[in-house]
Amino acid sequence: MNKQSLQKSAGSGLVFGIIVIFLALIGFTVVFSGLIQKVLGQSLGVGQIPSISNFFIFLGFLGIWNGWRASRQDKHETLTLAKVLMRAAVAGLSAGVLVMLYGFVVGGLDARGTDMRKYLSMLSSDSIKFFLFNQSLVLGGLIHVGFSTLMALVGGLLAFGSERSQQQVRTNRTKIQKWSQSTWLGKVQGNPYVTYVLMGIVLLLLVLLPRTWGAYWNYVMGTVGIYVLLGLGLNIIVGLSGQLVLGYVAFFAIGAYTFALTTSPEPHNLVWNFWIALAVSVVAAALSGILIGLPILRLRGDYLAIVTLGFGEIIRILLKSDILKDFTMGPRGVRNIAGPTLFGRSFTSDVDFMYLIILAVLLSIFLAKRWQESSIGRAWLAISQDETVAQATGVDTQKYKLLALSLGAAFAGLGGALFASRNQFTGPEDHALMVSINVLVLVIVGGMGSIPGVVLGAFTLKGLPEILRELESYRLLVFGALLVVMMIIRPEGLWPARRPKLEVPVGQDNEPVPLPATAGGEK
Amino acid sequence: MEALRKKIPLTLPQNTVKIIRIIAALLLLALVIVRAIDVAAESQFGADTWLRLSVSGLIIGGMYALIAIGYTLVYGILFMINFAHGEVMMIGTFGGYFVFEAFNAIQVTAADGSQMSFLNANPVIAVFLAFLAGMTIAALSGYFLEKIAYRPLRGAPRLVPLISAIGASIFLQNAGQLLFGPQRRQYINPVVLDRGIGWHVELAGSTVVLTYTGIFSLVLSAILMVGLYVLVQRTKLGRAMRAVAQDKKTAALMGINVDQIISRTFVISGALAGAAGVMWGIHNGLFNYFVGFLPGIKAFTAAVLGGIGNIPGAMLGGMFLGIVESLGPAVLGIDFQLKDVIAFSILILVLIFRPSGILGEALSEEKV
Repeated sequence: MNKQSLQKSAGSGLVFGIIVIFLALIGFTVVFSGLIQKVLGQSLGVGQIPSISNFFIFLGFLGIWNGWRASRQDKHETLTLAKVLMRAAVAGLSAGVLVMLYGFVVGGLDARGTDMRKYLSMLSSDSIKFFLFNQSLVLGGLIHVGFSTLMALVGGLLAFGSERSQQQVRTNRTKIQKWSQSTWLGKVQGNPYVTYVLMGIVLLLLVLLPRTWGAYWNYVMGTVGIYVLLGLGLNIIVGLSGQLVLGYVAFFAIGAYTFALTTSPEPHNLVWNFWIALAVSVVAAALSGILIGLPILRLRGDYLAIVTLGFGEIIRILLKSDILKDFTMGPRGVRNIAGPTLFGRSFTSDVDFMYLIILAVLLSIFLAKRWQESSIGRAWLAISQDETVAQATGVDTQKYKLLALSLGAAFAGLGGALFASRNQFTGPEDHALMVSINVLVLVIVGGMGSIPGVVLGAFTLKGLPEILRELESYRLLVFGALLVVMMIIRPEGLWPARRPKLEVPVGQDNEPVPLPATAGGEK
Repeated sequence: MEALRKKIPLTLPQNTVKIIRIIAALLLLALVIVRAIDVAAESQFGADTWLRLSVSGLIIGGMYALIAIGYTLVYGILFMINFAHGEVMMIGTFGGYFVFEAFNAIQVTAADGSQMSFLNANPVIAVFLAFLAGMTIAALSGYFLEKIAYRPLRGAPRLVPLISAIGASIFLQNAGQLLFGPQRRQYINPVVLDRGIGWHVELAGSTVVLTYTGIFSLVLSAILMVGLYVLVQRTKLGRAMRAVAQDKKTAALMGINVDQIISRTFVISGALAGAAGVMWGIHNGLFNYFVGFLPGIKAFTAAVLGGIGNIPGAMLGGMFLGIVESLGPAVLGIDFQLKDVIAFSILILVLIFRPSGILGEALSEEKV
């Protein structure tokens, strides 16, 4: 029994060791240590190796987590101090030894003068020395072992302490809940005026901020806004009606190119009014949604995903190829796309554009919310839960699926048109598969079917990497890992959709209380 | 009964839809044939070009078939698309590449006393070990992929493992990019398997070179496919796999360890994808972290084309797709850039007109 749990700790330690090695191999250790250094307020030049102390902080976090995980193997057992320390020590030691061995290998190769960057692009000599704390091979390895064990022990102690205080936390939580319900906080939460005031504050911020925070932030937040639009659209398709569409970028491209071709002087010399072109692109995208949707609607799940992915790729390849060169300028892309104008005045500054995006986002949120709460939304919900049952209960599944696809596509068209207009350029590489993946990730991470989730997802997945520029190259890696992890531990997303439910009185053992017999059949 | 019928609103008269679909399919077919005859009348290409294109189509088709088998095996058991399968192939490509690089660096003294690299001194051993390494590491990554990304999701709604698979695919692709860099790398082949040399076939006044790498790949993929067929049809493991694919619960009641069989299925499909990856490297030479993406999707197309869940179907579909993709642009007289469009169009058309594929039973709608 005891031996088994120690084996388990050693295994979990080895997993952590592998994680540390992997992070070192992809150069994440250096980048993240640099980020810590910046957060702590010290400057760091581009390409400069951060100081070692930040690496210790980074390793410390991982080590504590390692010990924490290793010492809490079974939810139901009561932990004793000796048990916890043993497990944490084993986990820390095994992780440390594995990392030390890795350090020996790369450090030894580096000392012999082998340039490993030919094969492993991130392993520069500097980063290897950094990994060994600028010490000699043996000393660096031993520091790894010692530090990892130490931190794992700390993590184990923390786990032990939290176990002890958990009871306390639980009572406190109920106390807080009671307090918030009984005092003004609870009353405030239920009060509609508070919502109005909050909305007013948000609106005021939305009006004021674009004027004050400068061009860079307007650019970043504009991108976030466009991704909110895309997310709202895909949320209708994936989150509400439950059709996994991987070629969402096709609609984005159709919107962007329709707008570009109707407003740019080249290649067709159609210089339409901004608003007309915008409306036309939205309609074109919606129509393309119907056209693409019609033949593939009877497919489900994974088949639909791969077919739509095919559509997205076909559109990109066609845009890039020479066939449509006269029509869409081929790989060069369309330039000099018009900006917004109103009554003959042009509104192309970054502030104006930010306002335009904010307006579009607010309008879209409003529309999406209304649709979601209407009978259409309920039909979508039914389809996403079980299509056969939905059909049997009288939902016209074909119609509603098509509707979802075309409405979602319309949002994408709007986003694409705004995107093209803001950049004054659009080319085939703006419409790669990665756009679809980004939008899908933000919808899923935010919470499928949840509008606040979409906004939150767009901020975290599009805004955060813009702020943390260093992590840009790791963005997609993290996305991928995030998708897997989210599906395993929290498939409903960060901000799950709250669906209005009919309250069923719940008795003991979570069994619904049988309704009184008079409620039903006697009449 | 009649009253009930009237009450349930039938959304679409199924027969009409079917007829419309058949008419559309026939029209499309007629269009393609007319176009092909048109182009053939111009006779842009000689017989040598046709031979070259069909052989290269067969070679690529063999690799598609190997990858497609992986999709089909997994789909047959778990009813999910292993989206990260192309990335497993990418890992295999890197595995073989490193073995070749290592052997190229080792200098040995040959029998006649000259210095040469181990790669050229013992090409058979080197190639064997490269395949072994590529297949092993791909099989391992398949195993861990299943264990980390799919096993915790057993029994979840269908969308959930699919999203997890997409995540795993993005993760592996970007991990490959960060680890090995974005640049393209070149396989160093042993001299006997150089990409330039091969049999020279005289045809219509010009020579066509059938490269040894291509022939080697084709033969090896045929051997592997036969091996897999024997494994699935004749061994105990194969029987267990078929049992699990048919009915997991009953198979468990018969004493089959379902989780273990699923793991082994991933190992087998990973090994085949790894072999395809090493072949890809040996035959095409250039590759980078993105190498698995397009073959992955196309192999999926091949699996669907042959009827997903059906192993001979996947082999047939792979070969067919390879040839169509290679000959298609020439037959239809369109730009060779649009090769990928043909593959995707076939995928879409097959799913619209015959989702069950050439040899398969209908799965896309009924089985949930």
